[in-house]
Amino acid sequence: MIARSNRIALLAVPGLAFLAIIYALPLFLLLFKSIQGAEGLTLASYIDFFGDEFNRTVLWRTLRVALLTTLLALVIAYPTAFAMARAKGIWLTVFLVALVLPMSLGVIVKAFAWSILFRSNGFINTTLQAIGITDEPVRMLFTETALVIGAANVFLPFMVLPIYSVIRQLNKSLPEAASSLGATPWFRFTRVTLPLSLPGVVAGSAFTFSLAISMYVIPSLIVGERQQTLSMLIARSFLYLRNEPLGSTISAVLLAIAIFVVLFSSWLAGRLGARQ
Amino acid sequence: MSSLTTEQSPKQHRYLDVVGVTKSFKGTVVMDQMNFRVARGELVSLLGPSGCGKTTLLRIIAGLLEADTGDIVLGGRNVSSLPAHKRNISVVFQNYALFPHLTVAENVAFGLRARGMSKTDVQAPVADALALVRMESYADRPVSALSGGQQQRVAVARALVVSPDLLLLDEPFSALDRKLRETMQIELKALLRSRGITAIFVTHDQEEAMGVSDRIAVMSNGKIEQFAEPSVLYAQPASPFVMDFVGLSTRMSGRVVTQTDGIATVRTAIGEVRAIADYTAGTQVQVGVRPELITPDPTAEMNQIKVQLDDVMTLGSKTVLHGVTSGEDKFLCELSGIRTGYTRGETVTWGWAVADTLIHEVAA
Ligand SMILES: Nc1ncnc2c1ncn2[C@@H]1O[C@H](COP(=O)(O)OP(=O)(O)O)[C@@H](O)[C@H]1O
Ligand SMILES: [Mg+2]
Repeated sequence: MIARSNRIALLAVPGLAFLAIIYALPLFLLLFKSIQGAEGLTLASYIDFFGDEFNRTVLWRTLRVALLTTLLALVIAYPTAFAMARAKGIWLTVFLVALVLPMSLGVIVKAFAWSILFRSNGFINTTLQAIGITDEPVRMLFTETALVIGAANVFLPFMVLPIYSVIRQLNKSLPEAASSLGATPWFRFTRVTLPLSLPGVVAGSAFTFSLAISMYVIPSLIVGERQQTLSMLIARSFLYLRNEPLGSTISAVLLAIAIFVVLFSSWLAGRLGARQ
Repeated sequence: MSSLTTEQSPKQHRYLDVVGVTKSFKGTVVMDQMNFRVARGELVSLLGPSGCGKTTLLRIIAGLLEADTGDIVLGGRNVSSLPAHKRNISVVFQNYALFPHLTVAENVAFGLRARGMSKTDVQAPVADALALVRMESYADRPVSALSGGQQQRVAVARALVVSPDLLLLDEPFSALDRKLRETMQIELKALLRSRGITAIFVTHDQEEAMGVSDRIAVMSNGKIEQFAEPSVLYAQPASPFVMDFVGLSTRMSGRVVTQTDGIATVRTAIGEVRAIADYTAGTQVQVGVRPELITPDPTAEMNQIKVQLDDVMTLGSKTVLHGVTSGEDKFLCELSGIRTGYTRGETVTWGWAVADTLIHEVAA
């Protein structure tokens, strides 16, 4: 006889097997390549990677872009999530469709659409010049700013939806209780609504940061080779340089960052959750 | 019988004055020209079935909901245009609405902190408030670790610590089990009395309303049907609705056939019933009687009915006899203590004093 809980655990076997074969095994092999030297195991390729000024620049740029993307998405998503949580019926549908539909459009279509907006004779520049704010076209395409704006746009749903679902579930009496206890709207927001929405903010930020740190298509299309990110460096190592140890090493660095983000955010969420 | 719906309020009843409040949601009027007055230090209940507008009235008084028309005057000050946080009216919500991210003490401190008091200054009053509800040993616990009764105590402490001008409680006992509910009712009533708090309880439970309040406003469809002391509500319900909602009773409709010397004789499906009333012959009425006023040993001058004993319930402190008339009307006869000698199925004659008949005119 197998205990009931054990039998239920059997249900997880197909999923675990799938993950193990398709995800964990190749990843493990990849990581192994990064420490495989001519004679035995070595950290040489890590020392090489971090020793190179260019690689460090790319690493910092990747982190910076991911962080700025997360912040921009958060600033836009937070009020949006509140509006959605208040929305009813048709308006809620409109919000959800507006949020989810662009995801199905694919990044490529979006990126080319943006270039119409951002290029030197594009919509923004002609408008800026027409109303006399600038004389010369401002360079926007191929800049980090454009990358952050574009990435924030693509990842916005991943920020909005977790925050929205947390706010949606908030007990509506809590802000009212705060008011009836004499709290001004500002006091009420900072002491009640904001702290209670933080689990959504943490989840959304973790999603967005993880996606932004490993994005490949968006920077390839918006900034091209001029401002590389880690993912582009990985692709280049494998595809053009045929340098598997380097590619594996950068992958390992990226993975380490991603794991740190996941652990940190779940620790943070746990701490926030423990108080609730 | 008077058909007066609201008691004439003397001047001292004017601590809280709700004047002509009307509210509609998307074109549906849920409250029409509501007038409602409470005296300082009074404990009042809003009693009525679910959906009759109790919470709506409470929220309008608290400033959490805006009335379409009308005024809220509290202690001589018109607060109608003030937002909730400037009214100094505390609310104990139906689900208590404790802040889940704060400890018990932080919850209680919230109102004082919102009023700009420093962390050190709030410590003494918070400790006092927690002691008042006997929760001082829970000060540093998260509120999620509390039972329903403890949460209610914290909610009460949080509401009282700010010395509100008025305390509003929306079904504060509904989440508690029966035993705890009765204990909490007694405790809370004593606490509010000792501090001279003016409070309005919202409830749909008539026993609870009768237990905790000085006066009860019975509401139906956004209107106050009767506003009176519990004893008056019970003995002299102003309408069939109040009679039905407050206490048990059997009701029968009928028509007045004669009226002599202030005694109306009503023809009903179960025969003639007499009541003290000055309705003229032909008036369509509803008559009723409370179960404890029915006796199984009627005298000749009483109203009498023949019933078949359907059930005998021995409840310890009382015995309840269920009787069914030939017209399938159900009557209850409540006797104090344990009674024996009643057999199911036997046909008996019950009766009640003419003066105990409740009678109301109804629309024909
Ligand atoms: N926000 C709202 N929108 C629409 N209708 C409402 C709203 N709040 C209450 N109502 C309606 O108003 C009536 C009174 O509700 P409420 O005051 O909550 O009743 P009670 O507290 O007595 O159960 C009900 O018919 C309810 O459906
Ligand atoms: Mg209600």
